[in-house]
Amino acid sequence: METNFSVNYKNKVVKVTLAGSLDAKRAPALADEIKKLIGKDIEKIVFFAKDLEYISSAGLRVIIFSKQKIGTDIKLYMVGATADVLDVIRMSGIDNIMEITDIYEE
Amino acid sequence: MADIIMPANMENFDRLMDFIQIEAENVGFDKKLVNKIRLACEEIIINVINYAYPDKEGDIEIKCNSNKNGSGFFIKIIDWGAPFNPLSKPEPDINAPADEREIGGLGIFLVRKVIDKFDYIREGNNNILTLFKYFS
Repeated sequence: METNFSVNYKNKVVKVTLAGSLDAKRAPALADEIKKLIGKDIEKIVFFAKDLEYISSAGLRVIIFSKQKIGTDIKLYMVGATADVLDVIRMSGIDNIMEITDIYEE
Repeated sequence: MADIIMPANMENFDRLMDFIQIEAENVGFDKKLVNKIRLACEEIIINVINYAYPDKEGDIEIKCNSNKNGSGFFIKIIDWGAPFNPLSKPEPDINAPADEREIGGLGIFLVRKVIDKFDYIREGNNNILTLFKYFS
């Protein structure tokens, strides 16, 4: 199975780069990577989504999960997502737990 | 009518999803709507893969076609498992803060938002879920 994401943790910021599909088959691997970060000192999780073409409820659940497990006071960012992906995020209401931006500045 | 049948497991997930994507594209839905149809079908398919056959392997069948008067496209997802209607689950509270969000139910909530009509019937030993999307 191809890897559709990469996770990088540095200076209290987790950067997750997403590509292709974040669906029921691929989301569990991302959830596993995020579980490894539980307990670490984290202020922000930034999802870079410009190459993400499709997200399903499984992918949305991992995003919610990341905030629930790592700390509900952390800030979540969704950067560069396409209109289709944002449409799904807004339909689900999880735009309420993240900041949606076109670009991310350190 | 396009039709496929294969064992309901994660190894076949991509084949099942590709089938739906190709059929939805073939009838002329744009990329945005193809993605929405995929999203809805994924939910139902995952329910079948995860829950229809707890003790043994079983099949999933997908049939799809434009309807008779050409107003839209239907997708029937069929399994031979215990009686189960995935649309009978309660909806999540989408305004709840993150730590209170129920993880379950989100998928079916999205199915209801993107699909125009849906129907569940139990026929013999089949569950038949039909999703319908108008062309525009």
